[in-house]
Formats: sequence, structure tokens, C-alpha cells
Amino acid sequence: MRWPDIDKTLFIKGVALEYRALAFLLLSVCIMFADHRFGYLQMVRYGLGYATTPVYWVADIPTRVSFWFDDVFVSRTDLLEENETLREQLLVAQRELQLLESLASENSRLLQLREATEVIPGEVMPAEIINVSPDPFSRRVLINRGAEDGVFLGQALLDANGLMGQVDEVLPYTSWVLLITDAQHVTPVEVNRNGERALARGSRVNSTELDLEFVTQTQDMKAGDLLVSSGMGQVYPKNYPVAEITSVFSDPGQDFATVRARPLAEMASTRHVMLVFASEQTVIPSLEEAGNGSTEHTGVIERTPIESAEEIVEPAPEADTQTEAADSQSQTVNDSIGATDL
Amino acid sequence: MSTAIQQRAHATWVILLSFFIAYLLAIVPFPNWAMNFRPEWVPLVLMYWVMALPYRVGIGYAWVAGLVLDILEGSAMGLNAMGMVIIAYVTLSLHQRLRMFSLVQQSALVFALVGLNLLLTHWLQIVTGQTVASNLYFLLAALVSAMIWPSLFQLLRHIRRSFDVH
Repeated sequence: MRWPDIDKTLFIKGVALEYRALAFLLLSVCIMFADHRFGYLQMVRYGLGYATTPVYWVADIPTRVSFWFDDVFVSRTDLLEENETLREQLLVAQRELQLLESLASENSRLLQLREATEVIPGEVMPAEIINVSPDPFSRRVLINRGAEDGVFLGQALLDANGLMGQVDEVLPYTSWVLLITDAQHVTPVEVNRNGERALARGSRVNSTELDLEFVTQTQDMKAGDLLVSSGMGQVYPKNYPVAEITSVFSDPGQDFATVRARPLAEMASTRHVMLVFASEQTVIPSLEEAGNGSTEHTGVIERTPIESAEEIVEPAPEADTQTEAADSQSQTVNDSIGATDL
Repeated sequence: MSTAIQQRAHATWVILLSFFIAYLLAIVPFPNWAMNFRPEWVPLVLMYWVMALPYRVGIGYAWVAGLVLDILEGSAMGLNAMGMVIIAYVTLSLHQRLRMFSLVQQSALVFALVGLNLLLTHWLQIVTGQTVASNLYFLLAALVSAMIWPSLFQLLRHIRRSFDVH
């Protein structure tokens, strides 16, 4: 018998509708509390990540098809042109790299002279953005790397131009990344020109801008200044470019100046990103090692070197404590190899 | 009696598939400027099935559908589930009247319900500190949802009749 069938539709059997609705509403509230306030459902979310990965994969097909079309239906002259520009860019980049290497070795020699900590840039893992949060109020993206690839909470994400954000939730094969333009996210930065520190929060008004908070009227900042990550807060590695100041407005009647900045990373258009491993590693050179060159790429993975900040603050402790500190640090470094080298 | 039971279990896969497509449409990446214009596909599909088959698709379905959406969107679990339960409850209690409505009148109710759902989830997100209050442009999604309702309704009705889902 075909619908509409009066017998079926006139009354809905079972417990009264109101009670059922109320029960499910209460259940929703309980789950929300358990998940958001206490994090009890973290394992459930992680487990369900296995089931949802194929859905994201399917949802990503249109984008991949359009990229494929772009790749396949491209004229020969366009390719040649692109090849030419890429070659030029590579040449320029290689020249800069040559300078950079000599600078890096010089820098680490100077640091060794001061017996200060040495900063070693970490390794990166390429990743792709496969989805964007459908919620217009949060700036989050989904990347195609997860716990199986060694992604951890708080890991920094970069694109070719600058810092993008940090890993917010790790799932088996994917991860959610909170972008630095999210209004809930604050990035500790410093002005590259003079080292003035500030906090860059995602703008509440404009989704593509950053607002610098608590900048006093007398701080030396001007439009065009480059902001780099300061390493404070110990989530982001130091010295990665973050944003460029677009406008500084200081009203003598206000406590703080209004400073806006534009992120350097291409949040809206980029697809290829990098996850940073080994944000920083602190190595205190012993006297024997001080002579033999500079580069010590141990490739050790360590996320939050609390010691490094302390070492910078107090530059000249006694020699004995120094070696002790070095021992304890190498210990923690070894520990972290076991912990994060999945 | 046995025939009635057989009829009830007919073509569940059509319902599930329609939800699956709604989920895909709900998470397919959109450019930033178009974020607020994305129709709320999952609540729309849910409303249709509740209206058409109230004895099969009810509050339990709505709750699970909302929970899946929560997981896919990466929001706090239970957030969308709550909104969906409210939508299903109102639609269930009005379904006999809704069937008598013209498509335009139905659209008005869709606007009200989807808008209520958006407001509620947004408010809960503010209260739990997952976002900050800004403007009310997100309600444009309710308007877009109401605008596509008539065509979606006719499409789903066609699908339901051709696959004989009841």
C-alpha cells in the first residue's frame, strides 16, 4: 500500500513525543559537558576518526579533480613559462641559501663563544589541506596527516610564506589545525627590526587579519614591519615569519595603540603546507666540541624546550652547573626521542 | 501484520544515502566569502524525511544525524545533535499540518527552524568559549536553506516515490 497511509501517520506510537525529545536533549547536554568540559570523549572522537576519514576523502574529490584538470589541460607554452620563472626563483633562493649557511655557522660560532644555547631548525613533513571547517566562526582546516604520521597536539603548521597555525585535534589519519587568524588564537610575535614583543590575535572583525594586543603608544612599530614568532609560550618555534604590519593607529586618549597585521601565509588559497618537527633543540657545546665546526644536525625531536628560554635569560651560570644542566638536557633529549619518534 | 513490518523496513538505504550526500555537501570546502551562504543540508534532509515518514524517521534518527555532523565538523559533540532534536521535535508535532502547507509556507517554517538551530548552536558555542560573538550574517544560511527548500522537497519526493520508500 502506498503512502499516504492514514493508519501509519495519524499517531506516532511509543513514548510520548515530548518525553522522547526531552530525553534526547538532556543526553545532548550531558555529552556536550563530557566532551567539551572534561574531555571524556577524546577516545571516542579518535576512534570515530577512522570512520570519518573516507568521508573527508570523498569530499575532497572535487578539489582534486579540479587540480588534476589544471595539471592535464595546460598548454606547453604555459609550462615553459612556469619552468622559466621557477628556475629563476630557484637561482635566487640558492644564492640566499649560500649566504644563510655562512650566516648560520657564524651565528652558532658566536653562540658557542658565549656558551649560549644553539638553535637548530627542525625537520618538516609535507602535508595537504583537505578540508576547511564549515563553521563560519572558526578558522580551522583539516590536514591529511594524523597520529599515524607522528602528528602531535600543538605542532606548528607552515606554508611556503609563513606560520599558519597549530594542531588542535589529532585523529588517526587527519588532524584539525587552528589557524592564527582564528579569533580564539593568540600568537606570540616580535618585530623583526627591533625585537619589540607583542601578542597577535585573530581579528574579530576581519577574518583575514591579525590584531596586535596590548601595544603601548610608545612601542616602536610601523606599517611594513615584519613580525616573526618569538618562541614565547613554547608552542611555536622561534623566528618563523608570521605577518606584516599593515597599519598602526595610536590615539593618545586610549591605553593601547591599534595595530593591524596581515598574515604572510596564504590561508585561503594554499593547499600544500608543512608540519614542523623538532621546533628547537638546545645543545650546550662542551669545550672539546667548541672547536670542530658548527653544524650539529642531530634531527632530534623535541617540542617545548623549557630550558632554552631559561638559558637565554640567565646567560652566565657557573661551569659546574652548566655541565650538569647539559647532562640533564641530553637525558631529556634522549627521552623525547623515544617518546615522539613514532 | 507481517506485510506492515515488511513495508517498514523498505529501502532504508535511500534514506541513509541521502544523509550521506547531505554530509558531503555540508563539509565540502567553500571559499571564505561564501561560508555564510552554505545551506544547512543535513537539517533540510532530516526535515524532509521526518515530514514524509514520521513513523520511521524520528527524534532518535535526528540525534544520531546531529552527532555525526558534530564529529565531521569537529565541533563539541552534542552541539548539532541538540539542534537536530529540536528541529525533529517541531517537525514531528507539526507534520500533519506541514503536509497541507504550500511550498512557500513550508519554506517559511524551514527558515524559522534552521535559523533557530543556527542561533542556538552559535549561542552555545559562545557560552562554552569555542567562538566569539561577531555579527548575525550567519543567519543568511537559514535564508538560503529556505530558498532551496522547494526544489529539494520536490527532488526528495521524486526519489522517495521512485524507490518506493515508506
